Amino acid sequence: MELDISGARVLLELPVNLPVLGKLQLSETIVVSWLVMLLITGLCIWLTHDLKEENISKRQAVAELLVETANNFVVGNMGEKFRYMIPFVAALFATSVVSNLISLVGLRSPTADLSTEAAWAVVVFIMITAQKIKTNGALGYLKDFTTPIPVMTPFNILSEIATPVSMACRHFGNILSGVVINALVYGALAVASSALLGLLPGIVGDLLSQIPILDVGIPAILSVYFDWFSGIMQAFIFCMLTTLYIANAAGET
Amino acid sequence: MQVQQLVGIVPWTFIAQLCNLFIQAFLIKKFLFKPVNEMLEKRRAKADAEIRDAEKAKTEAEAIKSEYEQNMQNARVEANELIASAKKTASAQSEEILKEAETQANAIRVKAEKDIEQEKKKAVSEIKDEIGEIAMEIAGKVIEREISEQDHEKLINDFISNVGETS
Repeated sequence: MELDISGARVLLELPVNLPVLGKLQLSETIVVSWLVMLLITGLCIWLTHDLKEENISKRQAVAELLVETANNFVVGNMGEKFRYMIPFVAALFATSVVSNLISLVGLRSPTADLSTEAAWAVVVFIMITAQKIKTNGALGYLKDFTTPIPVMTPFNILSEIATPVSMACRHFGNILSGVVINALVYGALAVASSALLGLLPGIVGDLLSQIPILDVGIPAILSVYFDWFSGIMQAFIFCMLTTLYIANAAGET
Repeated sequence: MQVQQLVGIVPWTFIAQLCNLFIQAFLIKKFLFKPVNEMLEKRRAKADAEIRDAEKAKTEAEAIKSEYEQNMQNARVEANELIASAKKTASAQSEEILKEAETQANAIRVKAEKDIEQEKKKAVSEIKDEIGEIAMEIAGKVIEREISEQDHEKLINDFISNVGETS
């Protein structure tokens, strides 16, 4: 029994080869991301078509609930002046959740690729830094690294860089661990069912041991934690940290 | 099939995901937040308009109420005035009536006194006549003789005037 846990498959390789960026590969991650975006956008369009001012449908109530929740989340964590951040945080959360949960239909989560989380974390890091510079000025921002004493500068720089790294790795690690454990469970249960049914005598046992019957049902229980709970939790944590770091950089909290 | 690293950053994927995030933010803004927020704004505007209308109606109602109260106040004052003047008129009238009654009573009394006087005089003259006759009869019987009508008259008159003086 061989178990293969690998990175994203390359679906298409385009004949572009740039010095730093390397070969232009269209990986599973990107394609599934597009699917995720399509899903989210389609859901938004479906939710918001035919909006009414009164006597609203359940669909519209859901749309309003989502918008109100996003508004409250961002305004509650960051304050009124960060209203323009609402779509970004909402997109971050929606993309993260849908990406995490899309593994339930057997596709590879885009979030099981460190490139995805790294991109998000870098965006957030740039936003945090921009906010800090906006609040304290460029000089103030640089001076902030020498507090409380100049000797601390390297550690301050390290902790600054640690923010995006930890954000990206936390999310990625949780999702990847789910992928790995799911693969392990499927593999182990296949082996177990093969061994169990192999006990049957004759050709029947040989035939039945080919069917990994234990793989039905049992992994779904684990999926409640590794896909549902972990997936939603990590998306929430990522967005929470994003809002809090940016608000903190602006001196809001 | 070619496979990418399990843990690693692929530059193209990185760039693609970065763009995807911003495209997603734009799409979510355009297709979810914009329409819903516009609708919420419209609803709020409508609610505000309704509240304004209600406040206007309330102000009007209060104006009407105060006007009504003013009218009521005026009416009450007027009524009080009416009652007061009616009372005044009534008392004046009753006084007049009383005065008249008194006058009438006085007149009646005066007339009655006059009548009594007359009756008294009448009675006295009647008694005078009767006493005269009785006296004459008694005198006739006493002296047993007839006196002339003239003497008789004179005698009686003397007697009566004596009686009138003494009575």
